[in-house]
Amino acid sequence: MRLAVHYAGWLLALVTGACGSSAVPRRGPAAHTGATRAIIDDAGRSVTVAVPARRIVSLAPSITELLFALGVGDQVVGRTTWCHYPAAALAVADVGDGLNPDVEAVAALQPDLVLLYRSALTEVAARQLHMLGIPAAILRHDRIEDVSRTARLLGGLTGAEAQGDSVARELDSVLAAGPVGGGGIPPRVAFVVWDTPPIVIGGGSYLDELTHLAGGDNVFGDVRSASATVSLESIAARDPDWIAILTDNASSSKPPSWSRRPEWQVVRAVREGRFLYLSGDLFGHPSPRAPLAVTTLRRQLRTAP
Amino acid sequence: MKWLALITGLLATLVLAVALGPTRVPWPDLLHSPIVWQLRVPRALLGLLVGGSLGVAGASLQSLVRNPLADPFLLGLSGGASLGAVAAIALHLPGPWALPLAAFAGALLALGVVFRLGLVGGAELDPRVLLLGGVAVGAFCGAVTTAIVSLAEASELRNAYLWLWGGLSGASWDGVRVLLLYVPLPLAILFGAARSLDLVVLGEEPARYLGADVAAVKRRVYLAASLLTAAAVAAAGVIGFVGLIVPHLARALWGGRHRPLLPTSFLAGGALLLAADILARIVAAPREIPVGIVTALLGVPLFVLLLKRWTAY
Repeated sequence: MRLAVHYAGWLLALVTGACGSSAVPRRGPAAHTGATRAIIDDAGRSVTVAVPARRIVSLAPSITELLFALGVGDQVVGRTTWCHYPAAALAVADVGDGLNPDVEAVAALQPDLVLLYRSALTEVAARQLHMLGIPAAILRHDRIEDVSRTARLLGGLTGAEAQGDSVARELDSVLAAGPVGGGGIPPRVAFVVWDTPPIVIGGGSYLDELTHLAGGDNVFGDVRSASATVSLESIAARDPDWIAILTDNASSSKPPSWSRRPEWQVVRAVREGRFLYLSGDLFGHPSPRAPLAVTTLRRQLRTAP
Repeated sequence: MKWLALITGLLATLVLAVALGPTRVPWPDLLHSPIVWQLRVPRALLGLLVGGSLGVAGASLQSLVRNPLADPFLLGLSGGASLGAVAAIALHLPGPWALPLAAFAGALLALGVVFRLGLVGGAELDPRVLLLGGVAVGAFCGAVTTAIVSLAEASELRNAYLWLWGGLSGASWDGVRVLLLYVPLPLAILFGAARSLDLVVLGEEPARYLGADVAAVKRRVYLAASLLTAAAVAAAGVIGFVGLIVPHLARALWGGRHRPLLPTSFLAGGALLLAADILARIVAAPREIPVGIVTALLGVPLFVLLLKRWTAY
């Protein structure tokens, strides 16, 4: 159960995240030009930001990673407890939870820009920050196209236009290329993130998008929400070729402990031990490294034992 | 006649629970399909046992504490079980059975504490002390649970809560076997106490005059009902309303005597939970709704319909 429990954590990350490549070359420290830029954030709020923003608090793991990918990691002064990637992000001050932010802790860092993940919970915090005179933008960050759009937006706000544009172009080209099929019937995958009750990844999610681009087929792609509680019977009946689970360490993974439970033996892929171990780091949330995730997933899908 | 109707109803529900599901299994394959044999049949039997146990536990506890609001979870058991389950999740306890075992242990712990409180100062399980003790222990466990949850990552929290809402998705033959071995003893104790419960309902003084060993009956009934509930919660999480509503439905239709009331509560509890679970599985297929929500949606209107009759006694 341990893996399932731990990595169910990525379920949320799916909804909240983006990440970034730490291999991006560093730029010099950004200088304040005294200019401001007004944007409309993804909650439809108008936010005026002094550009380039130099003291950023990122309240979503995915956004933290994107900022590091843009090479502006040294402009990030606050992050959530759950921002683990890249490793350099761990050096940034931890302000606690991102969905239910501690506004006082955020304000204490005297940020000139706070980035929040879009949810009903964060709107209140954004309003409170606004009243304190701190610009707070709410961003939707659920799919590859969101990462691309946000990369351009944040590039513009942080003085990393060129890097933002390059990240966005790479993602756009992966999206434009479409599924990389190897011919034949697409391998069928179910992403199981929790066992009692069974929770799977549905359509409209980042993982569903990755699976499609990798030439696979998410058997619960018809379920509208990003994740859903489903009956075990449906998993058995849809008979996926693979059960994908997100893990800490993809190289030394063993089947989740729930796979030993008798009722799960009805699912052929569980019975036959056909598990795909996907590194939570790479697959856990929408990321500028989506192209790598697609290639990795495609390779794993095609190396059928 | 009533019995025939109840048993027929239960059997019909059982057949429907096996025949219906989110996936269409063709009729000729119904007896061979692993989906039916490994999932639907054990799930239906587990639903029957859990629903029945909650019904009987609820009926016994309502009489024991002479309070129509009592339900099997009122006396702190759900709080204890939830705390056990959430602790198992937070501590990443290994093994496929960690969650139910931790929930069971939590329920037993709460049961022990409330029972002990009920004996403080020679109180001999005074109903008021039991109710207050149960509420206090439940609140305490709830506070600790919330503290753990608030410090955990948000998705772990969500998963813990999903488990707490109750559901039969973890059903397997192993679970059914364990319950089949476990449930008969507390059930037999409660059925055996039916006559004494008839007297206890009249009040403890009159019961004593009429020859009941009130203190012993209270201990037996309290422990047996709680052990039933603890097993139910370990098997299926906290499923509300079955233990509250079923006894009242049974009383409205059968009257207050416990010899028919307790078996009726078992059968009706099993049938209600089975019916609720069928809906939970199929209305939003392939998605599944927590069964506790359906038991409330089904049970509360039934309850309201019978409220008039019920207030007559």
